[in-house]
Amino acid sequence: MSEQETLVEMHGITKRFPGVLANDNVNFSLLRGEVHALLGENGAGKTTLMNILYGLYRMDAGEIWVKGRRVSIKSPKDAIKLGIGMVHQQFRLIPTHTVAENIILGLKEMGVILNYGRINKQLEEIIRFYGWSIPPNAKVWQLSAGEKQQVELLKALFRRADILILDEPTSVLTPQETLQLFNALRKMADEGRGIILITHKLDEVMRVSDRVTVMRRGKVVAVRKTLDVTPDELARLMVGKPLVTSFERKQESTAEYVLQVENLHVLDDKGLPAVRGVSLRIKKREILGIAGVTGNGQQELVETIAGLRKASAGRITIDGHDVTNKNSAEVIKQGVAYIPPEISKCIAFNMSVAENLVMKTYKYPPFSSKIILRWRSIKEKAQDLIQRFNIVTPSPNTRAGALSGGNLQRLILARELSLIPAHERPKLILAAYPTKGLDVAATEFVRRLLVENRDEGAAVLLVSEDLDEIMMLSDRVVVMYRGEIVGELSREQLEVETIGLMMMGVKRGGGAA
Amino acid sequence: MKPAVPTVIVQKRLEVSRKVSTVTSAFFIMLSFLVSGIIFEAMGVSAAETFIVIASIFASPSLLLQAILRGLPIGLAALGLSVAFRMNFWNIGAEGQIYMGMFAATGVILLHTFQGFLPSVLVFPAMLLASFLAGGLYCLLPAILKAKLGVNEVLTTLMMNFIAILFVDYLVYGPWRDPEGFNFPLSIQFPDYARMGFLTGQASYEGLIMLIIFAALVYAIMQYTTVGFEFRVVGESPEVARHSGISYAKTLLLGGLISGGLAGVAGFTVVSGLIGRLRPRASPGYGYTAIIVAFLATLNPWLIIPAGIFFGGLLVAGDVIQSTLDLPFAAVQIFQSVIFLFIIMGEFAKRYRIVIRFR
Repeated sequence: MSEQETLVEMHGITKRFPGVLANDNVNFSLLRGEVHALLGENGAGKTTLMNILYGLYRMDAGEIWVKGRRVSIKSPKDAIKLGIGMVHQQFRLIPTHTVAENIILGLKEMGVILNYGRINKQLEEIIRFYGWSIPPNAKVWQLSAGEKQQVELLKALFRRADILILDEPTSVLTPQETLQLFNALRKMADEGRGIILITHKLDEVMRVSDRVTVMRRGKVVAVRKTLDVTPDELARLMVGKPLVTSFERKQESTAEYVLQVENLHVLDDKGLPAVRGVSLRIKKREILGIAGVTGNGQQELVETIAGLRKASAGRITIDGHDVTNKNSAEVIKQGVAYIPPEISKCIAFNMSVAENLVMKTYKYPPFSSKIILRWRSIKEKAQDLIQRFNIVTPSPNTRAGALSGGNLQRLILARELSLIPAHERPKLILAAYPTKGLDVAATEFVRRLLVENRDEGAAVLLVSEDLDEIMMLSDRVVVMYRGEIVGELSREQLEVETIGLMMMGVKRGGGAA
Repeated sequence: MKPAVPTVIVQKRLEVSRKVSTVTSAFFIMLSFLVSGIIFEAMGVSAAETFIVIASIFASPSLLLQAILRGLPIGLAALGLSVAFRMNFWNIGAEGQIYMGMFAATGVILLHTFQGFLPSVLVFPAMLLASFLAGGLYCLLPAILKAKLGVNEVLTTLMMNFIAILFVDYLVYGPWRDPEGFNFPLSIQFPDYARMGFLTGQASYEGLIMLIIFAALVYAIMQYTTVGFEFRVVGESPEVARHSGISYAKTLLLGGLISGGLAGVAGFTVVSGLIGRLRPRASPGYGYTAIIVAFLATLNPWLIIPAGIFFGGLLVAGDVIQSTLDLPFAAVQIFQSVIFLFIIMGEFAKRYRIVIRFR
């Protein structure tokens, strides 16, 4: 390979947060024309490192060199001036503004009078070059997640960024959109830019990157050319130990239906139809996977079953009990566990770990006599669950807010899977994006628990946008698109391409129920 | 080598220990004394002398009893507020709820005197109950509006204060005026069996016992009952409550009832313990001072007892300062406000630490 110019050189970067050393003497370099994957588990310090480069965090120690000059990046403004652009996991766009308006937002060079004709022409050129199809005058809220990401990229390109940072860009994309993104990234690199791809997905590293830096616990553990490594080796570097990722089926599911949903219609927060005539059934000892791009009614469907949202039509029964439009307390009583996508929605951060654990059972013996709480039983149970679920906490009385994200997820699992009122184990588990944002080890833990509970007799409804996860765990898969079920596939029929096309609404149908 | 340059970094604390909390609070209260002292000096009186007058209130038994009696409505209302604030229900309406409590207590007396509907021994408990219900129901309305329609409770509770105050004005200037009271806007004098102090002859003793009992009740409800658990979850986040199967609306209404009810009882102690009749503007802002007390006590019912009595003492001090030092009563209010301001600053400061590093 010929000698490439070094775009970014980070030396001995150290960043300390209270109680954590997020970056420990990290070195990182980016060459012109390369796609450089920054690989690591959640909490490995990848995003911290990049936030330092983008000026969002100040480093405690270290040096940054950009294009051969020692620089001090105090804010994103400095970073943008140096030609650095960053696409965050959460998009930073104004939904009610057009694509063009979002892109020129904050650009002083545009002058007082905006020449939209010229701006749009420039944008269209870039859009055409990368094979995209977003109209510059479209309002951002009308765009899909993939298109919004393209707007973020456009924003950086329009500012002539030649150092592009993408933080887990594929987490919101369909397989087809991912492919499109990778093609665009390749093209940007070939144009002479340097691309940094923050990810924890091995296949992405293998597919698109030229070089990879692996981080673990705030340190760089390896820098390799992608051609010289295998996925197994990367996994070992990233986790520190080999992974087991296959799950054996123990028992066949029975014929008893636990959850039956008939012709369900639900409106979203804006009052628009989100779920349109969904019918589905889940048997005992069965995991039903719901695949689909986020925002196609999955969340509304699960919330309605959990009693957190009203159905406008249809019927939901759990074990023969009609729970349509019953409140969440009634649904919980039927033995329904709900693992929501956002931890913040079900953890009281200022209450103790023990209190959070009994959040659904505090009204039942042995934790209370309906009116008076029995702290001794609560503490004992908490102690037991802390051990069984390996929750790292100084004591059951510690504020939940002091726990790390992974430990909070374990806390939720402990509560939902072993403290359901009036039931030994949950009868039905609603798992909405249960591994979103978790690192490899925590993901594995969650998946194993779901399978275990399935084997013990629970029916599981698994919503995920991670197709690998759906394929790995589900006994049966349905695909949701625009509030409808557009296809159903049995385990034998599962195929990524088919599901991907169904997710995009291109293909319908499926096999036997 | 470059010389070591100290850098000052402000870091957020993950966990605020009790020690840090106490030390910071004490520091900021000292600071508030300092600032108030400067203000007193600027007003032309000796700060030292003023503080001595204030301190002497708590040293003299007779003045201390007065402080307790005036701190009683503040403390009771603050206990109620501690429940509401714990659930993030920002009840600013304790003042109005106090007036409704006074109204209900007086109503019972009038009914008894002119209609004779109760044996005299039951009048006192009936007044207590009626004032609790009146204050509670008065707070229920904003709670319902918030639970069902999302109406901001700060506005509704605050504005309902004026309604209650003017309603009591109307009563004592109109239908409830004592026919033998020489046209003064006063209700009839309460009979002895309706006055606090009928057990011990000293209203302050009974007041103190009452304050302790209610503080214990609030503490027990919050810590040891499922209802208190629900209050705390709702205060954390209505979303989390919903996920746990807790009804936000029901919990809010019950919390509102208790919060307003305790303020109602505070109103009862004003007319039954302090004044002995209903008159206009019978509360000089006990309900507002209670907000300060609830925060000063960090919503802890036990700490509300001394905090309430301290602010009761300040009111007594205000009277004394006026006569002996020739300072306006507002001086005491300035002192109160400065304390409150610094407490809030202290609460903020607790959550951060300042690190000085040499590199």
